[in-house]
Formats: sequence, structure tokens, C-alpha cells
Amino acid sequence: MEIIPVTEKNSLEQDNRSVKRNEVVRTENLDFFYNPESHALKNINLSIPGKKVTAFIGPSGCGKSTLLRCFNRMNDLLPGSYLKGRVLIDNKDIYANGIRLEELRKKVGMVFQKSNPFPMSIWENVAFGPRVNGESDKHTIEEVVKSALEQADLWKETKDRLNESALDLSGGQQQRLCIARTLANKPEIILMDEPASALDPISTGKIEETIIELKKNYTIIIVTHNMQQAARISDFTAFMMLGEMIEFNDTKTLFTNPNENLTEEYITGRFG
Amino acid sequence: MSSNKDKYFRKLYLQNRIVKYIITFAGFSSIVSIAAILLFLLLESSPLIKGAKIEEIFSFSLPDPDKKPLLTGTDPYMRVYYIMSKDGVIKFYYASDQSLMRSDTLSNFSEEKILCVSRGSLMKDVFAAGTDRGRLITFRIRFKNDFIGQEPVVNINLKVLDIYQVDPGQQQQVNHIEELIFRENDDLYRFYAWKNHHGGFNLRIYDPDEEENYLHDIKKILPADFNVSAFTLDFEGSKLIAGAKDGRLTWYDISGLKNIELIQHWEAYRTEISALGFLIGGQGLITGSAEGSVNLWIPVRIKGQEFEFQKINSFESHSKAIKLIIPSPRDRNFLSIGSDGEIHLNYSTTGRTQLKFSPTEEIVSMAAFSPKSNAIIAADSKNRFGFYNLDNPHPEITTKTLFGKTWYEGYDQPEFVWQSTGGSSEFEPKLSMIPLIFGTLKGTLYAMFFSVPIALLGAIFLSQFGTMKMKQIIKPTIEIMAAIPSVIIGFLAGLYFSPLFEKFLMEIMLFMILIPVFFYITIVLWRFIPAGHKTGLKTGFELLLALVPVILSLAAAFSFADLAERVFFAGNFQQWLFSVIGVTYETRNSLVVGFALGFAVIPIIFTVAEDALSNVPESLVSASLALGASKWQTVRRIVVPAAAGGIFAAIMLGLGRAIGETMIVLMATGNTPILDINPFNGFRAMSACIAVEIPEAPVGGTLYRVLFLTALLLFAFTFVLNTISSIIGDKLRKKYARF
Repeated sequence: MEIIPVTEKNSLEQDNRSVKRNEVVRTENLDFFYNPESHALKNINLSIPGKKVTAFIGPSGCGKSTLLRCFNRMNDLLPGSYLKGRVLIDNKDIYANGIRLEELRKKVGMVFQKSNPFPMSIWENVAFGPRVNGESDKHTIEEVVKSALEQADLWKETKDRLNESALDLSGGQQQRLCIARTLANKPEIILMDEPASALDPISTGKIEETIIELKKNYTIIIVTHNMQQAARISDFTAFMMLGEMIEFNDTKTLFTNPNENLTEEYITGRFG
Repeated sequence: MSSNKDKYFRKLYLQNRIVKYIITFAGFSSIVSIAAILLFLLLESSPLIKGAKIEEIFSFSLPDPDKKPLLTGTDPYMRVYYIMSKDGVIKFYYASDQSLMRSDTLSNFSEEKILCVSRGSLMKDVFAAGTDRGRLITFRIRFKNDFIGQEPVVNINLKVLDIYQVDPGQQQQVNHIEELIFRENDDLYRFYAWKNHHGGFNLRIYDPDEEENYLHDIKKILPADFNVSAFTLDFEGSKLIAGAKDGRLTWYDISGLKNIELIQHWEAYRTEISALGFLIGGQGLITGSAEGSVNLWIPVRIKGQEFEFQKINSFESHSKAIKLIIPSPRDRNFLSIGSDGEIHLNYSTTGRTQLKFSPTEEIVSMAAFSPKSNAIIAADSKNRFGFYNLDNPHPEITTKTLFGKTWYEGYDQPEFVWQSTGGSSEFEPKLSMIPLIFGTLKGTLYAMFFSVPIALLGAIFLSQFGTMKMKQIIKPTIEIMAAIPSVIIGFLAGLYFSPLFEKFLMEIMLFMILIPVFFYITIVLWRFIPAGHKTGLKTGFELLLALVPVILSLAAAFSFADLAERVFFAGNFQQWLFSVIGVTYETRNSLVVGFALGFAVIPIIFTVAEDALSNVPESLVSASLALGASKWQTVRRIVVPAAAGGIFAAIMLGLGRAIGETMIVLMATGNTPILDINPFNGFRAMSACIAVEIPEAPVGGTLYRVLFLTALLLFAFTFVLNTISSIIGDKLRKKYARF
């Protein structure tokens, strides 16, 4: 994947609320192309506050997952894709030369739509992150695993079966394991790509509780299909359509009194 | 409308049924054909374990009880048999109806009695008879098969070759020749050893070139207290063995003709030696004791110096003293006959007693093999005469000779030997499976050493780090490698690559040592280049980078090979190998086969492993990368373990191919069946052995069946390997199947 830097023409102009909101992630004139014909993100300028839950909503194919994947550079894996503009995390351009992907991804964790535990034991799944990031002290890892599982609300269910295969857990448990696995890396930001879309309502509820609990310590960016979910758990919501950021506002305002007609039409179910 | 729907469903149902039957039939017939191959191999090799069988064809009582039979025999086609009695009359009978064909008299004195007869050769029907007038009569029987019209007829020619009057000595009495051993060797030298009724023990050697007789009084040569109870000569006429009443044996070398040399004098038993006999080949000596034990002795080089007879095998004991030892004219079989009339059929090399039978209630006085060793003729003390068919197709095969160490004549210790054919009719086939199994494993091992790392690393690189474009070029190219006929690879390896390999041996070895060193240096240097300079590089660049150490080590190898050879190997590696390590360098050696066989195996391992690695769910890779794992960590900790089943299956498939591969190992090795792991000499693989020897093996013969057994083993090898690989592959696949 290629990164094409752009001249900073109007990057600061839009960014007026960043300071007071305790900004953690900022994008400046972000354009993303899967290939030259497929322009997936169009001039995204966005400022995401820390220790809050920010939700991305929008119809299928609007680019919300693509945007999310720009924050930990998972899009780099797609051959032929390229990006213009800047993504800043803690005011550092993560697409600049000399950025170590491993460090970035440790700092920006990700939970995927479909739970994807490794075919190993529960314990090994959670310990994977610390281990690959160079932690070798067994005692430290033990503690990290325990605390991660506790934060993901999975400790009680699994403490007696840590050596069993992670694949024997239920769907909801697997997804919480994936959250715990991400937490074990002690990230600052957690990206969640429709984490509950494949789960039943009870499991979804548990995941949502976990997310609300996690917001105290982490910045969470979540992509969701489910507007009720966004309304329930997020502090800020971005509405996207066809690769463009239509509206970004605090959740209450966006759902009750949107600025844009398109937003209103979408949240009232006229399309989407 | 509804009938239309009905029709549609009926059609669908019918289609399903037909397809189901076709698939079932195809699957079933492939299983049946595999089972049929297995069954065929089993049927062809199973007669190896069949024992010997004996069956009486006819028996009758000789008419004149006073005329004790002394000698019997038959022509090679068993149309005629003959019986010689004490009065010197040889009667020839038709085997078909036992009618008398003709009768000849040996002696011209009507009163003269024949006391003993000895067969002079296992190949020719020459005999010598000793009479009560002290004469040694040497005679020959020739059978000529002819046709009158369509009817086969046997012409018999009986000729007295020599009559020799034994010197009566100082007593001036006529000697009765009581026991006689006669030999005529291939150079027509004749050897006669006899005992007379005065206890004298003499040896006469007749030299046909000089027309000279050499006489020896063995009695005088033997130790004074040596009371001879049995004696024999080998069929070459070089060894005289005498056994004593107290169980001692002596071995004299008589090949000097004029002088007789004592070689060995040893204690064999604590009891009387009652029978002695040499086997075909002149090496194996069979001793029988008065207590009924039967043993095989062969001359073995002691400490690389002198030969001494050593006891190699013990056969099943008789309950009474051994009376006769009769060697087979075809193989290492012999009959040991006890004084109670029980006959044992033994095979010397295996030490196995294959058959025990008592033809009559009486003592067996005389017995003989037919020339083809397929029948036994025996007569008892009451002149009951019997003709027995012997079915003994594979006496030399036991589990021990196939899979264990066997002590063969001419060897200093038991060994695993494969040597299926030899120059002379006295040659004994040595059919140990071990050198072949070893050869197969050796070839496979070297091939796997070469192919597994290259194929697996290549598969990992291409599936995990390669770009789409690289995949599109590399994968089909490697798959084309698999389509190269192995005979071409074998041909190139054997005729082109192996001389080249020999020529550039030092360079190649140096290259293999240097390449990891240079790779390491390159990687270390690469890490010193600041990260900023590296990020802009495209995937695939590392391939170009990898060329650097390859070219460097190649250049270094070629420039320093001579120097290295001079410094470490005294200027000539092959000579150094021979003089210091004691290994002969063969041009077509295991390393060449390793490369060539590896070349054939790489595409299999590569393709299957690459598929397995590419099929690891993308979600696992993403999860690992998202957790901050590097690409290599992801490969090592997630991708490779997840693809372990497929990788294992790939290696097993490669192994199966390497084991079964024939043409490459046939053409690229010297096919020497040796047990030596050294990479600079060759080997003989099971598959190559079958290919080389099956055209030479007579259908239904031992070699033929042993080769089928080899095929069966090979089949079992690959079958077991494939089964293991699919079981483990299935298990591992199940483990990851939930993705």
C-alpha cells in the first residue's frame, strides 16, 4: 500500500473542537483507494476524543470499516490500495516514515466482526499479545491475562478452564475473549468492527456492558450496523455515506436533532 | 401443474440416484483394485513360507535279499533309476513301471564283492567302488536323452575309467576296502581316501596331467591316539577331514598333492563323530555325532589370518547316532540319516530342519538325491526301496535370512547381505531385505534433507510474503517440475550431474557451508541500515537481496575451493576420503541421488504445503497482526501451526514419493546393496532392486518371490505412510475446521 502525502490546505480549518475534546485520533483530508477505480474514503476530517465511545454508523459499503482499519493500518495488507492525507494518533502521523507497525498495533487494538480466537488454549490466546511484544516473565503474563479476562468480564467463566481450547467457548464468550486478548496488550485505543453483529441479544448485551465499562480507561471506536446500539453505548457518533463523512456529533444530538437531512433520513429508516 | 412438479422431482431423484451409483462404483472399484494388487503380491510371495513336502511315488522290495544295494541314483529327468548291489551289478529300471531296462556288471572277477561305493562329484555321475580284493574301480554313468520319433528315450553309457590295485603292503595280504571316499574335481584330479580291514587309512591322489599317483599313509600322519571313526573329502579335493571316536576332528590340506599339511585339530564333540559330509561349494562341513547331533562348520578367518572351522549352526538332533550325511547337488540342503532310519532334510545356512520322515520301519542303509534335488531315493536294510518326490521350492528363505543377520560361507561373521546371483552353480543366493530397506531409507533420508527445507521455506515465503504476481509465476513453474518424467531426472543426474558433481565437489561443499554464513552476514548488515531507507521498498525486493549472499558465496566457493582442498584434504579430497576415513568415493553417490530425488519431491511438498499455508484463515492472520505481532511472528506462531496438518501431509506425501521412486535411484546410484550411511557411496533401493532384477528372475523361483515380497513391503511402507498422513491430517484439519 502506498501513502501519498498531501499539502495541508484546509486541514486546520475544520478542526475547531479538537482541543477542548481531548482529541486522540485525528484525520486530515483522508482519502483511501482500494485501487485507482475504487475511491473508498473521500476527504475525511475527523477528531475523536479520548476515553469515550465513538460509533461509526451508515449503510453497508459506506466506508466505516475501511476508516476504522485506517487507524491501525490494517488496510496496508490489501495489495494495490493507497491512501492520501494524514491520520494522527496522539498528534503523530501514523503513516509517516519510521513508524513501527507492531508498536502502532499494540497501542491501537482491534476486535473483529467475527470472533477469531486462535486455535490454542484460552490462556495462550490472551497471553499471545504480551508474548509477541516481548514479555517473557511468566508471572507478569499471568497477571496480565487475569486482569484482561476480568476486564472483559470473562474471568469468572473461564478461570477453571484456562487450558481448554478457546474454540470450545460459546460465540459470545469467544468475542469477549477477543476483547480480553486485545486488552492484554494494554492498548490506548480499541477499534471494534461490528463486534456484536454475529451474536444473540444476550451476548450482545454483555458485550455492550463490557464496552461501557471499558470506556473509563480506553478510547473506543466502534463500527455498528445497529443504530440502537450506537445510541445505547456511544458518546459520539459519525454518520457516513458513500465514503463521505456526512455528520459527526455527540450521539444525543445526532439521533435527536441531526444537522443534515441525510442523517435524519437514515436514522428514521427512510433508507439504509 | 402438480404433475409437472412431480415429473421434475422424479427426474431430480433419478439424477441423484444415478450419480450416487456412479460415484459408489468408482470409489468401490478403486478400493477393489488396491485390494487386488495387495492380494496378488501376497499370493506371489506367500509360497516363500511354505515348508517342504515329501510324497512317496513308489516303493518295492528288491528281489534278492542277499544282494545289498550299495548305490542308487537317477537321471536328471527321473525317467530311469539305477541300483548297484554288492556283486557289482548295476541294474537300470524305468521309473514309469519299474521294469528292468538293462543290467551291467562292473567287476570282471565273479567272486569279487563290492564293499563300498562313493560318489565323486555332485555335478557328474562318477563313482568309485572299493572291493574285497583291494581294488578301486572308478566308473562313470552317462545319461543321454534322445528321441525316437516323438518318444523320449534314455541312452545309458556305463564306463569303467580306472581300476587300481591297492598295494597290499608288508603283510602281503589282500586289503578289503571297507570305507571309501572318492572325489573327482573339475580339473579331473581324482582323490581316493579309504580305510581297509586292517585299520589302515590311506589317500591316493591321481594327477591326470602327469599321469601320476601320489600315495599317502594318513594313519602315520594322524596323531597316534587318533582313532578314526569317520572321514570325508571336499568336492574340490583340497580338504581332508577326519573325525575320531573321542570327538576330535582334524583338517588336512591336500591340495599340495605331494605333501599333506595339518591345518586344524580340534575337539568338536565329547562323543564319537559318526558321520561327516561336505556340502556343495566345498565350504560347509556337516558333522554328525553318535549322540545324534548335527552341526554345520565353515572355515572362518580368525583375526584376519588363518582359516579355522567354526560351528555355525546346530540342527535338530536325531534320537540315534548319525549314520549318513548326503548333500544335495543343487543347493545347501542335505539329508542327515540316523541309525534308527529317520531322515532329516536340513538347510545348512538357515539351520532349519525342514522335514523329518521315516520311509520304513527299518534302518535306512542308503539314500540319494535326484540330480535336480526334487526327489529322494532311499533303501532300507531289508532291501525295501522307495522313490519319494520332494517339493521344497524355497529352502533358503526364513524370516531370519530375510530380516536377520545370516552367516554365509566365505564370511567372517553373520551379516545382512543381498547378492541374488553369482557366477557358478555352487553360488548361494543371499537375500537379506535389510540392505534394500536400508537403501530405500538412505535415499529417502538424503532426498528429504535436501527437499524439505527448500520446499517448506519456499512455500512459507510464497504463501505469506509473496505478491500475487510472484504466486502466478512461481507456483505453476514448480508444478511443472512435478511433471518432468523421473527417467529424465535420473538420466540427467546419473550421466550429467554426477560427473559434474565430482568435478566441482569441493566447490559445492564449500558453497553449502558458506551460504548460511553469507546469509547471516547480509541480515546483520541489513539491520544496520536505518529504518527510514527500508520502508519504501516493495515486496519481492527481498528476493533480489537474497541473491547477494548466494552470488557472494558462489564466488567465494569457486575462488577458495582449491585452497581449501590443499589445506584441509592434502590436495585431493577423494584420496583423503579413502585414506583417512576409508570411504571410496563413488561418482553416483547418495548426495547426487539426494539432489535428484529431492528435485522430484520438492514440487509435491511445495504445492501441498503452499495450499495448506494459503488456506489458513485470513481472520487468524489479521488477529495476530492486529495484536502487534510482526509478519514473521504471525507466520511462526499462527500460520505454520494452523497449517501443520497440511504441512505434515505434504512431507508424508513427499516421503511416499521418495520411497516409491524407482527410475531416479536406479539411474543415479551404483545400485550397490551396502549398509553404509556415508553420503559418498551409493545404495540399492527396494524399488530399483525390483526393476533391476525382475527380468532376471525365473518365474516362480525364490528370487522372483522375494522380489514380490520386496514389492509387498514397499506397498506396506507407502500404505502406512499415507494412512498416517491422512489420519493426522484429518485430526489437525478437524481442529481448525471451525473457521
